[in-house]
Parts: sequence; structure tokens; C-alpha cells
Amino acid sequence: MMKNFVEFDNVYKRYQMGEVVITAADGVTFSINEGEFAVVVGLSGAGKTTVLNILGGIDSCDEGRITVGGKDISHLNKRDLASYRRYDIGFVFQFYNLIPNLTAKENVELATQICRESLDADTVLDSVGLSERKNNFPSQLSGGEQQRVSIARALAKKPKLLLCDEPTGALDYNTGKTILKLLQTKCREDGMTVVLITHNSAITPMANRVINMRSGKVISNVVNPNPLPIDEIEW
Amino acid sequence: MKNKKSLKKNIIREIINTKSRFISIMAIIGISVGFYTGLRSASPSMVETARQYLNDQHLADISIISTVGFDDDDIEEIKNVDCVEQVMPSYSADLIITQENVDSVVRVYGLPQTTDTNTDVINEPVLIEGHLPVKDNECVIESYYLRMANLKIGDTIRFNESVEGKETADFIKHLEYKIVGVVDTPMYLTYSRGNTTVGNGSVLFYMMIKPDEFCIERYTNVYVRTRASSAGVSDYSDEYADMVEQDVKDIEAVSGSCVERFNVTTLADAKKELADAQKEYADKKQEAEEQIADGEKQLADGEKEFADKITEAEQKLADGQKELDNAKQQLSDGQSEASEKLEEAKQKLTDAQTQYSNAQNQYNNAKLEYDTKISEAQSKLDAAQKEYNNQYTIFYSSTKPNAETKLTLMKAAIDGCNDLINKTKTEIEKLKSAELLTDDIRAKIEEQNAKLDEYQNKLDEYQKQYDEGSRQLAEGEAALADAKQQLDAAQTEFEEQKAFGAAQLNDAQNQLNDAQSQLENGKLEYESAMTTGMIEMQSGQSKITEAEKELENGRKELEEQKKIGLETLKLAREKLESGRYEAKTGLEEAEEKLNDAQDAISSLENAKWYVYDRDENPGYSGLTEDADRVDNIAVVFPAFFLIVAALVCLTTMTRMVEERRTEIGTLKALGYSNFDICKKYFIYGSAAAVVGSIIGGFIGVFTLPDVIVSTYGMMYILPDTALVISWDSFVMSALIGIVCTCTVAVAACFRELKINPATLMRPKAPKPGKRILLEYIKPVWAHMNFTSKVTARNLFRYKARFLMTVIGVAGCTALIVAGFGLKDSLTVIADRQYGELTKYDQIYALSETETAEKKSYLISQFRKDERLKNVLLGYQGWTDVYGKEKADKMNLHIIIGQDIEEFENMFVLRDRKTHEKVPLDNDGAVINERMSEVLNIKVGDTIHLTIDSDPYTCQVSGIIENYAGNYLYMTPEYYRTVTGKVCKYNVVFTGTDPQYKDVEREIANDWMKNDDIVTVALISEQVESIKDTLNSLDFIVFVMIFCAGLLAVVVLYNLTNINIAERMREIATIKVLGFYNLETANYVYRENIILTGVGGVAGLFLGSMLLGFIIQSIQMDMVMFPKEIAPLSYVYGFLLTFAFSMLVNFIMYFKMNKISMVESLKSIE
Repeated sequence: MMKNFVEFDNVYKRYQMGEVVITAADGVTFSINEGEFAVVVGLSGAGKTTVLNILGGIDSCDEGRITVGGKDISHLNKRDLASYRRYDIGFVFQFYNLIPNLTAKENVELATQICRESLDADTVLDSVGLSERKNNFPSQLSGGEQQRVSIARALAKKPKLLLCDEPTGALDYNTGKTILKLLQTKCREDGMTVVLITHNSAITPMANRVINMRSGKVISNVVNPNPLPIDEIEW
Repeated sequence: MKNKKSLKKNIIREIINTKSRFISIMAIIGISVGFYTGLRSASPSMVETARQYLNDQHLADISIISTVGFDDDDIEEIKNVDCVEQVMPSYSADLIITQENVDSVVRVYGLPQTTDTNTDVINEPVLIEGHLPVKDNECVIESYYLRMANLKIGDTIRFNESVEGKETADFIKHLEYKIVGVVDTPMYLTYSRGNTTVGNGSVLFYMMIKPDEFCIERYTNVYVRTRASSAGVSDYSDEYADMVEQDVKDIEAVSGSCVERFNVTTLADAKKELADAQKEYADKKQEAEEQIADGEKQLADGEKEFADKITEAEQKLADGQKELDNAKQQLSDGQSEASEKLEEAKQKLTDAQTQYSNAQNQYNNAKLEYDTKISEAQSKLDAAQKEYNNQYTIFYSSTKPNAETKLTLMKAAIDGCNDLINKTKTEIEKLKSAELLTDDIRAKIEEQNAKLDEYQNKLDEYQKQYDEGSRQLAEGEAALADAKQQLDAAQTEFEEQKAFGAAQLNDAQNQLNDAQSQLENGKLEYESAMTTGMIEMQSGQSKITEAEKELENGRKELEEQKKIGLETLKLAREKLESGRYEAKTGLEEAEEKLNDAQDAISSLENAKWYVYDRDENPGYSGLTEDADRVDNIAVVFPAFFLIVAALVCLTTMTRMVEERRTEIGTLKALGYSNFDICKKYFIYGSAAAVVGSIIGGFIGVFTLPDVIVSTYGMMYILPDTALVISWDSFVMSALIGIVCTCTVAVAACFRELKINPATLMRPKAPKPGKRILLEYIKPVWAHMNFTSKVTARNLFRYKARFLMTVIGVAGCTALIVAGFGLKDSLTVIADRQYGELTKYDQIYALSETETAEKKSYLISQFRKDERLKNVLLGYQGWTDVYGKEKADKMNLHIIIGQDIEEFENMFVLRDRKTHEKVPLDNDGAVINERMSEVLNIKVGDTIHLTIDSDPYTCQVSGIIENYAGNYLYMTPEYYRTVTGKVCKYNVVFTGTDPQYKDVEREIANDWMKNDDIVTVALISEQVESIKDTLNSLDFIVFVMIFCAGLLAVVVLYNLTNINIAERMREIATIKVLGFYNLETANYVYRENIILTGVGGVAGLFLGSMLLGFIIQSIQMDMVMFPKEIAPLSYVYGFLLTFAFSMLVNFIMYFKMNKISMVESLKSIE
């Protein structure tokens, strides 16, 4: 179990919007241990997504240093970033971002075909409870099912880090709960490091670590020694 | 009216924000409109350039030439014709210059002058450099030749002293003219300087000198400006043509009276002179003929006498020969008789000899036999004698004494016996006597008795033996005696026989001796007879030899005499011949002169005026044809272009409206009217279209016509392009662009507006994935890899775009294929026509007055030229052919070959498609395909033609492949059937031996020295000029390919752009998943490449069809354009399309790399 598996060290990210400079990440510093279920919580515009995007290698920081598993990713070139995304990162989005023209299974395969060590698409889909819907197109699936495909797609790559951007944001309460449960189970059972961002602080008790952000700054980074199973949390 | 300010702002911002889309719509419409308008303007600009030029230089509307020239009265007559505005009489002459040993023809014109009625100079030359001639020996020459020949102002042109037997001085005053200026004349718009009847048949260049430099009595040319040019109608208009046509008729009407006047004055005088000369000639001819006749008679007499004498002498010789022959015969008869007899005698002698030999043999045999027999008999006799002697000796020495001894003994025995008997008897008696006969005594008597008997027997035996011995002895003695007797007899006989044989032999010997002596005699006789015969024969032979000698001498003498006689006769004849030849040449010369005079008069006879309008000027009419051709292409290509452009705008605008659906929904929700909402897209579309049209049209109009006219300018001598904008083309094409763009925008907009605002404001769900047909074909689908499956599904996901891309790409390929195909097709004309169909290399035109004999002599001369391969005497003439409707008329060449075999060597008559030979027979004429198309004639149809203004009809028996020009071929026999006349051959077609191809011009020049040949045309030079024309088409092909490329790039760019925009999220997602740039590009481009492939293949077919359409629309009456696309052109079309597609992909690659994952994946607001 590696300590400080993910480490943000004084990371800045600024956007130029016309004549205004917005600082989305303003000296962000935190660390997450391996195998932890970390929740980044904060209001809209607090810089959560920026942090996640930088961590996921789909955005770059202007200043600071980020290491993942001991590897500095803050100064990688585009190609190395793509490799980093390919081999180390699994992404789950609020709006799933499935390829509409591919079936559930094919969406998973899209990820597995580019990885060196990947899980079998069928197995992964079975493990997220979609054995029956493998050959359906996204438009034929419900939101929860689509999100499960999305999670399966991320998991199938056997990533070191699973990043989830408001995965329940577009889902109803119960469906959201099952998705969170799925993520928690994957973290606990497979020892996967999960970073989840949400604006809903009610779900923080389920996390090992809660990072609170506001206005581009980390205002608290609390370890929760006794995370609750999701079933026991209500909001 | 409220000011919807924010809406306006929205429109402007929209344009600025989506400037690449706006520009691309603008560009595609601009290109199409510019291309279309530009090309459509090329043709009118070309015509206008020419029109202005001709107008500025006052090109004559009508030019008149006459077979006899014109005098001032004629000019007055012409002036008086109503329509005539201005008349300029002038001179021209075709003269010869020699440069580097090559004779060339120069056409010398009198410099056009102002006339009394008008200050305009008809056919005014454009002075390019220097000044016009002022002094007598100055000239100006054409600019083209000046450049070509590297001449400069100040150089001198020197003419040969004679032109085809005429003096140059008969035409112009000087032989040398100094070049003082360079000009172009409106009379020549092209670089072809036309044909001439002198020199090598083609004019090299023209020059102009002052008119009073000509010393020709009558004007040679008359140039006329008519009401047509002053009426202000455009030179190339139908109106103008109609007007001039009428004017030509009016002037032709005048020509009759002018010719009549000429006939009664000038011609009549000349005729009278000729008649006098003819009479004188006839007298002289008669005189000469009489003299010759006298000489001939004398010669004939001499010949006869000579012949008589010779005959007599020969008769005598013949008699002597006959006698000699008789003597020879006799001798030989005698000889044979004698030898016969001798032979007989010899035979007899031989027989006798043989007989004698036989007898001799017989005698010898007989003697031998006799001797043998005698000796045999002797030896027998001797043997018998010896035997006898032996027997005798034995008998008397042994046998007889022995026997006598025995006998004695016997006697003794007998006597003993007898004693015994007697004793016994005595005893017996005694005993008996004893009478005491006791038994003993009885036994003793008995025993004595038996003894007595025994003695008795013994005695008997002895007695018998004795007798026998005695008898035998006697017998022996007798036998000996007998033998002695026999022996003696034999001896006697032997002696007798011996004597007899000896006597006979002796006789025979005597006879033989007699015969021998006879034989000897015979031999002697025979030999003496032979000797006598021999001597006789020798004397006969020597007599004959003598006679022969005599005869030979006689013969020799005769030969000598004959020789002398013949020599004399020959001399006489030669004298006569030379006299005759002298007379003949003298007469011929005189006749030639007379003929020349006659020719001169006959050329003056049937005087005729030829009144030509401008169509006779090849450049003038060719220009409109070329302009039409440009226009035909100008219609087809850009129209095609425009269609594709419209399709692209359609897609782009539809996409744009779809992208703005949220905005449309919002505006609708806010309460804006449909009209207000649509207005934005309408304005956007129309702004792009209008601006594009204007910019494109502007660029197109100011580049393309100029480029094309100057390309054609390489073939024409024209000033700078006068631009004529084809406004209707501009308006039409711009309207199509605008209407397409706007209608589509509005239509798409309205489609969106039908949906309620709430739905509209939600993002349009991406098109859901669907199973495609291919997935149900399990074996195929199962074998496809993952990316192929994705690509396949994507392809069918956006069917409209699929179709659009395929059509756009196909259009591009089609344009390229058609462009290359056009070049292929046109190149084929020259290659096929002159490589495969036309096999002759030169045509020599013969002087018309030649007789048939002279022509065949000429042909034999041609055949002797080893540089030529095939030679064919033929007829070539112009004829008008009418189709089924009289209005369809075509002017074409009629060609007849004298020798069908040679004809087939030079003219390949075959079907275009099957390449099967089309036979030419005596049942019909063969015509070429283009003509049959234009006049709608099929095999078996009857056509009407005019030969030398007489109408005829003929059958069409075949249609053949031909590209350049129109031809009708028939056999001389069929010509006769059709016209009832014998074909008058007027040309010689020849083929050059391949190894002399380089020196064809020299061969032609060599032959041109022959007076019987008027002109020569070289096919190779025609091919060169055709190829030059075709090469100028290269540029058009290049323009087409360039535009096709532009089209492909714009279409593919637009569509790829839309494709990427629509799938932005998808692309971002796969990038997040860790796809590298190339992998991402591959994911998107795979579709593009497949679509390009499909479109490219479709384009190949489309291109072929497009070319067919273009070919159809540029067909000319005179030329058949075949539709030919080389396989390589298809390859080029396909590869170029791909290259363009790759170019677009390359550009889009960077755009794709720039897609920001963060932005694209942001939650949709």
C-alpha cells in the first residue's frame, strides 16, 4: 500500500477568458494513498473538475508538480500523456460519453483493444451487472446502465487510478446509489484507487479520504478511518 | 418597427465565429460561379477580340478574284452596285525566293491604299515596327515570319528571276526589296498562309510593296466593303452573314456583263492573232511533211532494189547447194551399195571357211575313230591268237599226253580186268568142273561169280571212262582246230576292214584338200574387189569437197555485197530520220508556242469571277468554330461543377442549422417569429453566396477568358483580348448558388421550427447507433476486425453525408478523367488518322492539261524513284453531298484511285469498332462515319452529289472510320457508272520509304521541278499543324484538372469538417481513452478513405459518361472526335483524387489534434 500514491504539490491552473484570468487551481496541494476511495467535494466552480482533468492527463497545469505512483506527470509531452491515459487512468464522466455507434460490449472493447493488459470485456460487463445488455446500443440503455458501461470501460483497462467526475450527477437517487456502491465495491475488493468528485457532500462518509475545495484551493484533506457502506448513507 | 438589434449582432457574430464555414461556402460558390462565368465569357471574348480587330482594320467584307483580272471599267461596275460602299482594286503575285537552296513561295501584296470615296483603308495592316514603304524598292513583311526567319528591318528580300517559266519582271519592277517595316494583316488570322499553284504549293509568308511596283496590266484582286460593315451589325452575327450573302449575289450579278465585255474586246483580239499563227503553222507543217514523204519514197525504192538483188544471188547459191547435195547423195548411195556387196562376199567367204573347218574336223574325227578301231581290233586279234596258242600248247603239251596216259592206263586196267574175268571164269569152271560141288565150292563159285560181276562192272566203268577220255581228247582236238579256223577267219576279216577304212580316209583327205584350195581362191578374189571399190570412192569424195568450197566462196561474196547494200540503205534512212526529227522539233516548238498561246487564250476564255465573303478566310471561320468548341466545353464542365457545389452547400447549411438548434429553440421560446429566426440563416447563406459569386465571378472573368483567348492566340494573330462578360451566365450560376444555399438553409430551419421549443433547447441526441445490414451476414461480420466494424457502422450512420462525399469525390474524379480523356481522344485523331488510316505521305497535283499517256509515263517515273514506296494515280475533287433533306449539305473530298490494290495500300477502309475491312467495289461509294452521322446516311442509302456543278446520285455501300475531313471513295468504274464520264485523274498519291522520311520535303521539292506537277501537299506537315492545334488544348485540360482538384479539396474539406464537428465528443472520448493522434486520425479517416475510394470508382464511370457528353457537344462537321480514354487516364483520375483527398486529410489532421478534450467533454450547458 503506497503512501502518497497521488500527490499534488502547489498546482496552479489559469484560464484566459477574454481579458479576465480565472485561476481554476490556485496552489492545490494534497496527496492520496494507494487503494483509497477519495472524494473531492466542493461547490460548482471550486476547481474540482480542473484538478481531476489535470490528474487524468486531459489538461495540463501551469505551475506545480503532480506525481502519480511516483511518476511526475506534470511535464509530460502530449504523446506521453496519451500513454499515461491509456495505461494508468480510467475515466468515468457525468454524461457517460459512450460512443453511440457502438454496443455496450464494443464500447468496452474500444478501451481494451489499446491496452497491454486488459480485462475481458464480457467479464467486466458481468461484474457490473450488465450481462444481459451487452449487445445493446447506448441509446437502448437507461442512464444507470450507460454509466455502468462507462465504469466497465474504465475498469477494463485495469487502470492504476479511477477518476470519476460527478458519476451520479445525471442519475436518480437510487440509480446513483447503486453506481456509488459499485465504485466502492471495486475499490474495496480490487484495491483500486478511486478519486471521485461531487458537489454532494452527503456522500463523503463513504470515502477513506475527503478533500474539500473552494475557489481553487484545498481547504481540508481529511482521512476517514471508518468509511460507511453506501447503503447506510442517506441524502 | 422595432429594431431587432441583437438579432443583427447575432448574425454578424455568427459569420465571424464560423468564418471557416462561411469562407468555404463562399469559396465553393465563388469557384463554381467564377469558373462558369469565366469560361462562358471566353468564347464571346474571343469573337469580340477578333471582331474589333477586323473592324478596326476594315477587313474587306467581300474579296473578288477573277481568272482574267480586272480593269478600271470592271471596278466602276462594282462601285455602281448598290450595296457597295468602298472598293479597293489591288495586286498580288506569288513569287519565289531561294534560301539555302530551298525554293519558297512568297505572296506579294500591293500595300492597301485609301480610296477616293473613303479615308478608311480596306485591309489596313497593323504596323508593328518600322514604317510603311515609301520608296519603290521598300517592303514590309509579316511579323510572324520575321521572327521565325530571324530577319530584321534593313534586310533585303531577293526574288528569283523566274517563276514557273515566267519572268518575275513580268509581275514586279524590282528583284530586291528592303524590309522597312513589320506588319500584321487582318486578312490572315491564323498562321496558315494558304496554297498556291506555283513552287512547292504552299505560301511561306506574305509581304507588301507599293501598288505601283506591280507591272501587271490588270488588277488581280478587288476588295469591297459593303453596307454590312457600315450598318453597324456585328461581324460574326447571322444578320451580317445574311447581308453579305445577298451582297455577294449582287456582285456576282455584275460579273456577267464584265466578263462579256472582256470576251468581246481583249479575248477576241487574242483569238484572232492565234488563228493567224495557227494557219502559218499549218502551212509550214504541210511543207515539211511533203519533203519527208519524198525522202521516204526514195528510200523505199532503194530498199526494194537491194532486196531484189539479194534475192537473186541467194537463189543461185541455193541451186549450187542443191547440185552438191545430189552429188553427195549419189556418192553415198554408191558407197553403200559397194559395201553391201562386199559384205555379202565376205559373208560367203566366212561361210566357206566355216564349212571347210567343219569338214576338217569331221575328217579328223573319222580318222581318229578309225585308228582307234583298228588298234582295238588288232589287239583283240592278238589276244585271240595268243589264247589259241596257249590252248594249243597246253593241249598238246599236257592235256593230250595226260589223257593218253590215262587212256593207256585204262587200257591196262581193262586188260587186267579182262584177265581177272578170265581167270575167274576159269576158276569157276574149274570149280564147276570139280563136280563135287560142295557148298564150299558153290560158295566159292558164288564168290567167284560175284567177283566176276564186280570185275565186269569195273571193266565196264573203265571202258566207259576210257571211251569218254578218248572222246574228250578227240573233242579237244576238234575244238582247237575250230578255234584255229575262227582265228584265221577273223584275221582275214580284220585285214579286209583295215584296208577298206584306209581307203575311205584317203578319199576324205583328198576332198578336204580340194576345198582348201577353193577357199584360198575365194579370199583372193574378195580382197581385190575391195581395193577397187576404195579407189573409186576416194575420187568421188574429193570431187564433192571441191564443189563445197566453191559454194562457200559464193556465199561469202553474197554476204559482203549485202553488208555494203545495207550500209548504204542505213545511211539513207538516217538522213531521212534526222530530216524528219528536225522538221518535227521545229514543228513541235512552233506547236508548243501555239499551244501556249492557246492555253493563254483558253485561260482567258470562260473568264469567271469568284466572289468570296469572309468565310473563305480560314482564320475567320475557324475562329468562330474554335470559340464554339470552347463554349461547348465551357457549358459542360462548370455546370457539372455547379451541381456538386450546390450539393456541398446543401450539406453545410443543413449542418449549420442543426448545430444551432438550441439557439433556434431559445429564440422561439423567447417569442421571435419564424421569419426572424430563419432570416439569420437566409442572410448567412445568401451573404456567403452573393459575396462568393461576386468575388469568384470577378476573378473568373478577369482571368479565364484572357488565358483561354491567349492560348488560342497562339494559333491566331490577334491583338489583346477584348473582354466580353457573359452576364447571363454569371447571373444564372450565381442564382443557382444563392438559391441552393438559401433554400436549403430556410428549409432546414423550418424543419427544426416544427419541433417544440422545449425539445429544441435540449441537445439533439446524437444519432443512435444501429445495426447495419452487414452485421446480419455473420461470416463477413465475424471476420472483420473491431475498427473495421466501427467504420462500417459509421459509414452507414450518416447516409446523407456518405452520398454527398461519394458524389463530390466522384465529380472530382469524373472531371479529371474527362479532362485526360479529352486529351486522349483528341490525340487519337492525329495518331489514328495519320498513323493507321492515311498511309500516303504526299499528294502531287497534276497539271490539268496532261494526257492519259503522259500521266502513265509520269507514274512510271514516280515508280522509279526508290525513295517512294507506293504510287497511286488518282482523282481528288470537291463535291457537295446532300442528305435526305436538301438542306443538309456537306462539302467534301471525293477520291478515286486508279489501281485498287495500290489504293488499298494507301487508304485503309475499315469499320471503326470492329476494324473489319470495308470493301470498295463497283456497286457503290464508301463514305466516312462523321459524314454519315451529319447527313444521317446509312449503308444502302442513295445520296445526291454535285460534281463540277452537275448533279448525280450514287449508292452508299459502306461507312468507314475517318477522323479528319470528310471523304467519299469510289472505284473508277463506279464513277463512270454514276457520271457516265471517264475519271480524269488529277493527283498522284505517294508513300515515302521509311528510311527517307526525314527528307520528304526535299523529295517533294525535287518533284516540284517537274513541269507536270502543280502542287504538293505533305501529310507530315499537316500532322504537325494538327498536333500544334491539339497541343493548345493541353492548357484547357490542365485548367480542368486544376479546377477538379479545387473541387475535390473544397468538397472533402467541408464534409470532413462537418464530420469532425459532429463527432467532436466521440473523438474527445477516444482521446481520453488514450488513443494516440494517429490512431484517432485513423479512426476518422478510415471512413474518408473508403468514401474516396467508392467515389473514385463511381467517378471513373461518371467521367467516361461526361466525356461522352463533351465529345458529343464539341463534334464538328469536318472532324470526328472519337471517345477514347487511355487506361492511364483512369489511373491518373483515381490517383489524383486520392492525392487531393490525402491533402484534405493532412490539413484536417492538425485540426483534429487541436480538439480539446476538456472543452469537448464539458457538461452540456
